[in-house]
Amino acid sequence: MAPPEGADAPAAPKADPKPSDPPSESIVASRTNKQPPAETLESLWVRRWVILSFWAVVACLGLPMWWKTTAIYRADLPLQDMTDWADGKICRPVFPLRIAVEASPQVQDAHRLIRTTQHALDDLNEFSAHHLRLILADLPLPANASQQAIIDGTSSTGDDQDIALSVRLIPVETGETPRSHLQPYAPTLDVYYSPNQIPSASSTASPLATFVAHELHKIFADEQARLSYLLSASSSGHATKWKALSAETAAELQRQSTRVLKYAPTYHLTFSLFTPTSVPSAWDIEPALRQYLTPLLESFATISNFTIDTQVQLYATFSPSIRQPEYDEDLKAWTLRKEDLSGFINAAEWPLSPSIGEGPTVNFALYVPEQSQSPLLVKENGASSWLVPQWGGVAILNPTSSAAIPKALAKEALVPAMQTFSNQLISLLGLPQTPASLPLRLSTLTRVRAASLIFSASSTLGALAQVYQKMPSIPVPDSVAKSVDLTLGHLQQACDHFRDGRFQGALEHARIAEAQAEKAFFERSMVGQVYFPDEHKVAVYLPLLGPVAVPLVMAALKEIKSGIATLRRR
Amino acid sequence: MPANQQTALLYGGAAAVRLLLFTAFPSLPNLLAGRVEVSTPVTSFKRLQEGLFLYTHNVSPYDGGVYHQAPLLLPLFSLLPNPSSHPFATNVVFTLVDLLSAYVLSQIAESGQSTVTRLFKSSRKDLRWSSLAVAAGFLFNPFTITTCIARSTSALTNLFILAAIAKACQGASLTFLLSLSFASYLTMHPLLLFPPLLILLYDALAQRSKSAPSPLAFTAFHILGLAVVIGALLSASAALTGSWDFLAATYGVRLLLPDLTPNVGLWWYFFTEMFDAFREFFLGVFWLHVASYMPGLTIRLRKQPLFVAATLTGIFAIFTPYPSIADAALYLSLVPLFRHLFPLMRYTFLALATILYATFLGPAFYHLWIYAGSGNANFFYAITLVWSLGLSIIVGDSLYAALRDELDVERPELRGKEVKRI
Repeated sequence: MAPPEGADAPAAPKADPKPSDPPSESIVASRTNKQPPAETLESLWVRRWVILSFWAVVACLGLPMWWKTTAIYRADLPLQDMTDWADGKICRPVFPLRIAVEASPQVQDAHRLIRTTQHALDDLNEFSAHHLRLILADLPLPANASQQAIIDGTSSTGDDQDIALSVRLIPVETGETPRSHLQPYAPTLDVYYSPNQIPSASSTASPLATFVAHELHKIFADEQARLSYLLSASSSGHATKWKALSAETAAELQRQSTRVLKYAPTYHLTFSLFTPTSVPSAWDIEPALRQYLTPLLESFATISNFTIDTQVQLYATFSPSIRQPEYDEDLKAWTLRKEDLSGFINAAEWPLSPSIGEGPTVNFALYVPEQSQSPLLVKENGASSWLVPQWGGVAILNPTSSAAIPKALAKEALVPAMQTFSNQLISLLGLPQTPASLPLRLSTLTRVRAASLIFSASSTLGALAQVYQKMPSIPVPDSVAKSVDLTLGHLQQACDHFRDGRFQGALEHARIAEAQAEKAFFERSMVGQVYFPDEHKVAVYLPLLGPVAVPLVMAALKEIKSGIATLRRR
Repeated sequence: MPANQQTALLYGGAAAVRLLLFTAFPSLPNLLAGRVEVSTPVTSFKRLQEGLFLYTHNVSPYDGGVYHQAPLLLPLFSLLPNPSSHPFATNVVFTLVDLLSAYVLSQIAESGQSTVTRLFKSSRKDLRWSSLAVAAGFLFNPFTITTCIARSTSALTNLFILAAIAKACQGASLTFLLSLSFASYLTMHPLLLFPPLLILLYDALAQRSKSAPSPLAFTAFHILGLAVVIGALLSASAALTGSWDFLAATYGVRLLLPDLTPNVGLWWYFFTEMFDAFREFFLGVFWLHVASYMPGLTIRLRKQPLFVAATLTGIFAIFTPYPSIADAALYLSLVPLFRHLFPLMRYTFLALATILYATFLGPAFYHLWIYAGSGNANFFYAITLVWSLGLSIIVGDSLYAALRDELDVERPELRGKEVKRI
């Protein structure tokens, strides 16, 4: 593609055999001993003009074009802010939890009780960022309000958004006092006491205050452990400031965090029925899901959304890599080995797609073994279900009776499987096991997720800042700068919400911040250039431009030389 | 046989061949219109039909990103009956375009500018083919016939390029400007033919009137005229489509090569392999490469502007982004004008063999790649390289012959002797 004819032609005003010509042609000319006659001035100037015209194209059009098209556009990024966020200099996450104390009107000295309890609580607390603050509820609710199951938890309704937990002090005459009861479906702790346990005006401590403080501390101990684990894991600089976790707790949290799915605003749940034969070929999955799973998913609505689809797969065989089930005389059941469980899902043949649409997919597989191989259990512990970390769960549905497997599984038959799946989903989403109250656990999860999103977005920003500084050759489009600005803004808002104790708002902003940070970091046009060192440019330019440039440069040099020689001769 | 009768026979025969092919093989036009060697994204008749459909349904023809041809083609073709149901009218139009092209080509041959110009008289000027033979070479060139049957719109561009050359030879300023403007308007790169053709026009005028007009005023007037006509065409297009979006969809596509459908050129393969970051730079390099031949050739062969224009069409057939065999057909039908150079050409056998080799193996390799699946893109690219090699041999060899011819005039004593470059 080099321009041999174009470039040679001007350089050879007399005649123009190709360089590749056989030498015999030129020998003929050289044998004639005559000196070639001098070039006419006209042809000399024509040649010079032609060479100049090629150079003019290169210089006037080529160079500006090269300059313009290979210039690397780098949008300005607020590098200092980004690094500061990554180092945790800007936002020090604090978790001020408000706890409303509802005292019945008889308690005259509620304020003092609260003050005393607060003192006791502060003494117990070792984790300064996580701070429980007691306030007196303005309007004590009627006592029987607790009977209403409040499913949507703490945070969605407007007024009590900031209240993490309500403590209701209820005077009783009978029974052991003080005693407490945490309501499972409401963020309410009922504390029963006998009237004489109200601290007197003079005393600085009272059994009731100490009891309440201890109860509260116990309830939030798990959350504190999680948050401090999160803080220590995410930024080494802070680890020393907060209380050291015991080794076992840390190991347990580590174990849990490996199985938890990465946070996403939307998860896709896939429920699949696998059977090695032709039955069952239908299942009442829709009503079962509606009854057993939808309430759970609804309670998660403030954190993540879910989409669901289901499928039935007949004649699903085991993958050949695992051993076939063996009959165990002691258990009177067919058994699978524990080490084979990871290969139980036949990834090659079972149609479990890794991801459908937006958000990660969580797979739940229900396996109905054939009649001759049931019941099918795990050999080591006799279990019939297991969880696959960060992927989903598997349950084996063994028929309850010896009757033939029904063609369609009724809703009732699916109940154990649904319960298993619910538990697996809870583990996969990282919902803590304690305390007993679901709304409290959900709000704990909100805080943990929001904090971890902030950390992750911050560290992504830090990584982006490093990439920006260390790789001056990558282009940075304006969209990255825009995303970074958005991330910084939302991080700041999330942090402000945290400080004010509005954790739901914090989660929402942190979610946007995280999404924008990822978008900025994985910008397509940037990523491509990361792996493109400068030396490769030689390989890009030379093969084409080299052959074109050689005749151009040689012709120009020759002309300049002869021009200088002519000048000297004069 | 008298000349008139010969002419009638030639044109009648050419028209008959085309109409016969159209009617005897009704599926042939569609088959050829789908061949990458014949129809490129910027000349395909199928895409023109898509544009027409959108246009007649009052949708912008450039919506959907299929149609990349000039907007003024649309009202022209919308006058014809629907080609999918009544193809005859369209077929006749394309046949007429070919006949007209042959006619203007014979006018070029008659002007004699290929051998004798104002400043140059070839020593072999008597060695030439008649205008009828040149026209026959165009009309019965299989590449031309294939282009016509495929109803590729490059046939129109070729007509306007040939008309511009013919009018420049005859010294007809106004029609020259109009033809070249239309050619440039349709496919953009004929604009590069303007300088050599302007010189040709100037020489023709000077020869005729015996008193040369002032070169500066002449150049300025014609540049202005060209700008006015092209400006008018573009404004009419904008008025027709209601916006200036057509610029990006037509010339933008030619400049930036978003559609990497294979063709017989060199660009598509190169740009499928190109790193994204360097794409724009190499687009610039390739375009500058095409353009850089024009000034050098025009200056060097100032005395033979018609030869420069013909050589440039050959360079276009090799180095433009969307070449097809139609561009090669144009060049190959201009080459016979320079019959007097043939004795000086050294690689005619090699060039013809290469062209034939590529012509027969090209479709086979494309079939192996796309349909049989036993080859890959390299197969087809290799054969397009051979095709381009064949064309560049002709371009380079004829250039050598032209220079040698000039030398023979300058130094008659060297005639017939071997020369070497010093």
